Amino acid sequence: MGECIRLEYDVDGTNFSSAGNASESVKRTLKQMGVDAASVRRVAIAMYEGEINMVIHAHGGKAVAEIYPDRIEICLQDSGPGIADIDLAMKAGYSTATENIRSLGFGAGMGLPNMKKYSDEMRIESTVGVGTTVFLRINF
Amino acid sequence: MNVREFAAKAGYTVFAEGEERQIESGYCGDFLSNIISRAPDSCAWLTVMNNVNVAAVATLIDCACIILCEGVSPDEALLARAKSLPVWLLGAQGNVFEEAKKVSALCGV
Repeated sequence: MGECIRLEYDVDGTNFSSAGNASESVKRTLKQMGVDAASVRRVAIAMYEGEINMVIHAHGGKAVAEIYPDRIEICLQDSGPGIADIDLAMKAGYSTATENIRSLGFGAGMGLPNMKKYSDEMRIESTVGVGTTVFLRINF
Repeated sequence: MNVREFAAKAGYTVFAEGEERQIESGYCGDFLSNIISRAPDSCAWLTVMNNVNVAAVATLIDCACIILCEGVSPDEALLARAKSLPVWLLGAQGNVFEEAKKVSALCGV
C-alpha cells in the first residue's frame, strides 16, 4: 500500500459552473508532485468525465482520490438513478443525456469509454434507484 | 507563434488573457468528450460552443487558446471562468474552417 495523499471532494450537482473543479485540483496536485505530464492528462480526463457524469445524471456526489507514489486510485460515488445496463452504457456513442445536456457539449456517449480508455483499471458498481460507484486506477 | 502575437495578427477579439503559450497545433470540435480525448497539447481549439464548460475543458487539455468562431461571444459564466483560469479566450468572425486555415497559415501548424 504505502503512504498516500488523500483528497476528497463534494461534487456539486446543481450547476455546471463548478464541474471540473475536483479533477482540476487533482491535476494541479499531481503536477506539483512531479508526476509525468502524460499520466496527469490521463488522470484529468478520466476524472473529469466521471465528475461530469455525476453532474449530468446523478445530482452530484462524492469524489475521493488517493495518490500513491506509483499510481492514483479514484472513487466516484453518487446516489443517482443507477445504470440499468452497464455493458450498454459502456458502448461508445450510447447516451441517455437530454437535448439540454447535449446543447452544453456533452452527451456524445464518450464519457465511460473515455474513462476506460485512460485508466488501467475501471470497475462500476451500480444499483438502479440506489446509485453508482466508479473505481478508477491509473498507474504513473 | 505565441498566442498574444497570433491574436493581434489575426485581428481577433481578446476576451480573456492567459499565460504566455506557443500555438503548436490545432483542433476543431464542439463535443467536449471528443475534445478531451483527442485534442493535442498546446493546440488552438476552434469551436462555436459557448458555455462555462469550455473553459474547464480547455485547462484539462492544456490548449494554448480557445478560439470562439462565427462571432460567438462568451456568456457571462464562461467569461468569468476563463478570466479566473490561465487560459486565453479569443473571438473570431469567420467559420471554423476559415479560422482553422488562418491558424495554419500564421502559426505554420
